Amino acid sequence: MYENDHIEPEFLKRQKKNPFQTPEQYFETLEDRILKNITNENQTKARSFKLIKFIKPALGIAASITLIYLVMQAPIELRMFSKVAQKNIPNINATTPAEEYSFLLTSTDENTLINAISSGETNDQEDINQDEVLAYLSTGLNDVEIYSEIQN
Amino acid sequence: MTNDQQILDDLKDPSKKELAFKHLLSKYKERLYWHIRKIVLNHDDADDILQNTFIKIWNGIDSFRAESSLFTWLYRIATNESITFLNQKKRKSAINLNEENEYLIEHLESDPYFNGDEWQMLLQKAIATLPDKQRLVFNMKYFDEIKYEEMSEILDTSVGALKASYHHAVKKIEEYVKSNETVIRL
Repeated sequence: MYENDHIEPEFLKRQKKNPFQTPEQYFETLEDRILKNITNENQTKARSFKLIKFIKPALGIAASITLIYLVMQAPIELRMFSKVAQKNIPNINATTPAEEYSFLLTSTDENTLINAISSGETNDQEDINQDEVLAYLSTGLNDVEIYSEIQN
Repeated sequence: MTNDQQILDDLKDPSKKELAFKHLLSKYKERLYWHIRKIVLNHDDADDILQNTFIKIWNGIDSFRAESSLFTWLYRIATNESITFLNQKKRKSAINLNEENEYLIEHLESDPYFNGDEWQMLLQKAIATLPDKQRLVFNMKYFDEIKYEEMSEILDTSVGALKASYHHAVKKIEEYVKSNETVIRL
């Protein structure tokens, strides 16, 4: 269809000529260069294959040793960890006062201590009698003031 | 000259592989070189691509199943290598579609191994303005005189689409030549 519906353009009637050139002796030396490249590539491949072949068993052994080490090490580390954890638990069954004191020091943190102190203070204030307070205050008051306080 | 089937049989035989490959090289080196050269235009690039093409052929010969002819297979590898090379160049230099032709024309003008006259330079510049596929089809039909059926196998495109590509390419070249011919006035 495309060949028949079109009048051949002028440029297609011109004589065809390859305008490109190659360097001298290019095609004569091409084969050798290509074969040399292929040989080099094969040698590189063979070398890397040899290297892998050489390294592969060593890598296998190293991987096995690491695996064995991890497998052996895991229970040991677990046991060590549980021993250390047991050591660090405070002895709550201590009986002597020194042990009790030591236990309190190690198991009491700052906040607990402040709460304990402030809770003590609150109790002291609650223990004070209302009448005592009034009596204490009355020492600096005159009779009229005392009377008015009692009335209120 | 050894025929393709003989070369193929020998290539599959380890004891004859190297000799058969030499036959293949000697039979196709020039045709493949010129095919590649017309795509990339520059000699040095064509040389690199041709060497890679033959290395690929050597490495891939065992997987060649003879579903297509040896000639088609070789051309397909050479074409793919050339197109891949051009795409890589475009990506590396961040060339957009309009600049792509300028890049090819610059290569053409600076190539010390271009021996054409002004008309041939004009024709090559016109070809360089075509999209990749049209450029390929035009070169293969016009210079290499490859049949559409063979081209269809090489480029994996239908014969109808190839004829359309060639038709568009011829039109565009004609327009380019007409608008630029006055400059060189033959």
